[in-house]
Amino acid sequence: MEFIGEHLRPGQLGHFFVITSFVGALFSAFSYFRAARTEQTDPLASRSWLLFGRSGFVVHTVSVISIFIALFYIIETHLFEYNYAWEHSSLSLPGKYLLACFWEGQEGSFMLWTFWHCVLGLVVMRTARGLETRTMAIIALVQVGLATMILGIHFGPEFQLGKTPFILLRHVMQNAPIFSSPNYMNFITDGNGLNVSLRNYWMVIHPPVLFLGFAATLIPFAYCIAALWKGEYQTFIKPTLAWSLFNGAVLGTGIMMGGAWAYESLNFGGYWAWDPVENASLVPWLVLIAGLHTLLVYKSTGRALSLTFILLLLTHLLVWYSTFLTRTGILGKTSVHAFTGDGKALTYHLLIVIGVLLIVAMVLLVRRWRSLPRIRSEEETLSREFWMFIGSVILFLASMQIALSTSIPVWSPLAKWISGKDFAPPTDPMLHYNNIQVWVAIIVGLLSASVLYMKFKNSDARVLGKRLGITALIGLVLAAGIGLGQRITMWQYDIMLFAACFGIVANIYYGIVVQKFKFKKLGPSVSHLGFAMVLLGILLSSYNKHAISFNITGEEFNPGKKTAEENAKENSENELLFRGVTSPMGEYQATYVSDSLSMKGKDKIIYYNINFEKRDPKTKEVTEQFTLHPDAFVNTKGEGVLTVNPSTKHFWDHDIFTYVNHIHGGLLDKSKSDTISYKSHKVNKAGDTVIINSGYMVFNGLDRKIADARYVPVDSDLIISARFTVYDNKDKPVKDIAPIYILRNRREILHIEDTIPGMNLNVRFENLMVKSPTDVTTEIMVKQTDSDFVVLKALVFPYINVLWLGIIIMVFGFFISLGNLLSRDTSALIAKN
Amino acid sequence: MKKMHIVLLLLVVAAIVVLISVFGNFSTYETFASASKQPGKSIYVIGILQKDKEMEYDPQKDPNHFIFYAKDKAGNTNRVIFNGEKPRDIEKSEQIVMMGYQEAGTFHCSRIQMKCPSKYKKDMVVEGNNS
Repeated sequence: MEFIGEHLRPGQLGHFFVITSFVGALFSAFSYFRAARTEQTDPLASRSWLLFGRSGFVVHTVSVISIFIALFYIIETHLFEYNYAWEHSSLSLPGKYLLACFWEGQEGSFMLWTFWHCVLGLVVMRTARGLETRTMAIIALVQVGLATMILGIHFGPEFQLGKTPFILLRHVMQNAPIFSSPNYMNFITDGNGLNVSLRNYWMVIHPPVLFLGFAATLIPFAYCIAALWKGEYQTFIKPTLAWSLFNGAVLGTGIMMGGAWAYESLNFGGYWAWDPVENASLVPWLVLIAGLHTLLVYKSTGRALSLTFILLLLTHLLVWYSTFLTRTGILGKTSVHAFTGDGKALTYHLLIVIGVLLIVAMVLLVRRWRSLPRIRSEEETLSREFWMFIGSVILFLASMQIALSTSIPVWSPLAKWISGKDFAPPTDPMLHYNNIQVWVAIIVGLLSASVLYMKFKNSDARVLGKRLGITALIGLVLAAGIGLGQRITMWQYDIMLFAACFGIVANIYYGIVVQKFKFKKLGPSVSHLGFAMVLLGILLSSYNKHAISFNITGEEFNPGKKTAEENAKENSENELLFRGVTSPMGEYQATYVSDSLSMKGKDKIIYYNINFEKRDPKTKEVTEQFTLHPDAFVNTKGEGVLTVNPSTKHFWDHDIFTYVNHIHGGLLDKSKSDTISYKSHKVNKAGDTVIINSGYMVFNGLDRKIADARYVPVDSDLIISARFTVYDNKDKPVKDIAPIYILRNRREILHIEDTIPGMNLNVRFENLMVKSPTDVTTEIMVKQTDSDFVVLKALVFPYINVLWLGIIIMVFGFFISLGNLLSRDTSALIAKN
Repeated sequence: MKKMHIVLLLLVVAAIVVLISVFGNFSTYETFASASKQPGKSIYVIGILQKDKEMEYDPQKDPNHFIFYAKDKAGNTNRVIFNGEKPRDIEKSEQIVMMGYQEAGTFHCSRIQMKCPSKYKKDMVVEGNNS
């Protein structure tokens, strides 16, 4: 059948480049492999293989960029005949989010990863010199694996290798009846759009940075493999160190941005939740940092080479393992934001890639293990290498604990087979991880404070003792002050506080007194200072994170916690705010002022404007005022599921973080307000009471005198009003009302309702039943729509800026070290020439 | 033996001890029936929301109190009290994973994870107020 209105050319081109990228990578890997094998025996052949390898990689890179352009063209011109465009974008999507469409889908994020490998690969190609053939063979091999992820080639009806982003919608939904008509394109006018929670500026910049961090782990991996392959363990040190520093900085930044995104646009209630997806990026980073430190030990003393290889090889393998955990859906019921699983095909595909890389690494390591250079003598106890080595081992063990706990779905079938129990994640994951990792933080914190004062080989115990003593004492005083001021009472967190303060003081002191502020050399102490600030920021912001929204109306229920304090806390972290009513919230008075609607494409986003006011307790004057706008939207992509976004007020020393949990009435569900019908009530004499939702009304009697501007007198009218006083829940009179009953021409009955808008109250004088002059029954109809309200959660994160600043300083430290390393490299080169 | 070896040995022993001691942290997936046998112990139950039974939620009275009925994998229906706001669109959920403990015939739940039928909607977790 011929279909009308399809644009097949970009897809065909795209698919062509998918094939060439695969073939290019394969050719490059093979050629570089041959070049490496013939390097000693036949330099001339090796040279031509090298050129083949280079051109293969360039073809591969050009193809990958072309795929990117083709896919971007499809998304940008809204060609919804392609599944990828239809699934991840829509006509109304703002231009800045078009890029975010790429990484919403599985195929796009694999492409992003491939793209970064290409860029880094080109840099390695130009800089690796003697190690080019071997590093590039590995890089190209990994590219072959990644290229298969988007091949989308069918082998028989069952098996499909990879998933191409250029598949047509009609191929994805083959059975849908719409595709049996040739002009189906007339009916597909718009795409599904981008998930609203991804429409955030963090979502535009955070994935590229994080993926660059993931991609960069390939380079130390490739250098380690190359060194093992060649059996030569000197030339790889500098480039591996430089790439590891770059990698640590970029991946660290990526993790921070992920935390910032979670903090700003998800209602996790924080920046870190030990969620499997977060752990999946943290674990490789920790192992990388451990490997970076053992590499420094090796560089300076010749020790710890085997552990360096293990750690740096493992880092990249862990990135693949993370991909396996988060992409295949294996985490399923344990993670909030694991990608939707693509099922079995991807699982096996990833397992094969991981298996190949693991085997390559293992075989080389085992074969070279005995010949790796080692130093027989023992290190001194007061040497830098001794403690750096221990710190690295601890970081590694800590990362393995996180990996093991995150991998429950992977090992639980085995555990079930052994023990018969169906294991689940810890019921309190935060506590599970925190209880262990606090000790890691303490030990690593203390080490990062003191290790710089030690020298490689051996240190002068007297000088060391004096310097550490002074800084530890200052740190202790600082910690005591903060601990008392912030009421940090759990002893293990007090120790952590000391470790952090000691770290801050010791590294500042080291930078100024010992290094005399020589900028080039400041890298390590600046990174360590940042790390100590991160520890302090985490401690302060999460230890004293507290809710200021308290439920003041609710009844208690027993959540079964051990102490009354915990029970009360559980009961009360949400607060109900009626529209227009002011309630106390922490030191503020909070008012739900209004809601406002904004259309983001097809998605209605509703902002809830919550006014916060702080008054001086004596003068009652407003000393501080701000408005927060937490929002909620109906996600057209998730079948109308409601999603909420937080809104945060930043102060220099704390954040107030709010989001709505429950919404009633208002713009979001107008329908609710209108469906409520009138209820009939009868009153006989003055003093009779009618109960309404938010109070009651007292009948004051009937009145023939009418003073209502809405009534235009007509001679024949018989007119009467019923006077009521309306009270609120707290017995406070709100307003007098007088609905009117009119009998016109003795036939026609008219009503003039009276209302109190603030209470959403409508009262109609329905009927008058006169049995005798003393027995008069007045029937009124009352309609009270529920007042609009939201349930708000408001949390305070104290000193969270210390955390963000700490990460920035740490990353800055990495770059100082990197800059220093590279400038020494260049100056050495210049000197040589 | 070098002192580094001693330190490493100590670290590995410490790691193993820590692992064993935290192993109790790992919870298990249970049914309402097996949860009743260990009242008060925090576990997970996988079930389906019983839409024909009444759901109680009156945020004006208490925004942190939601009562519903769920059927577990063994087919038993149980009353569940969730100490949080009613999860949005719980009616649309395909499956719910509830974390909490069983006591006196009622499951006290402090976290609900919902599996939604849409392939575009990621699973959603709703926390009770214990954080």
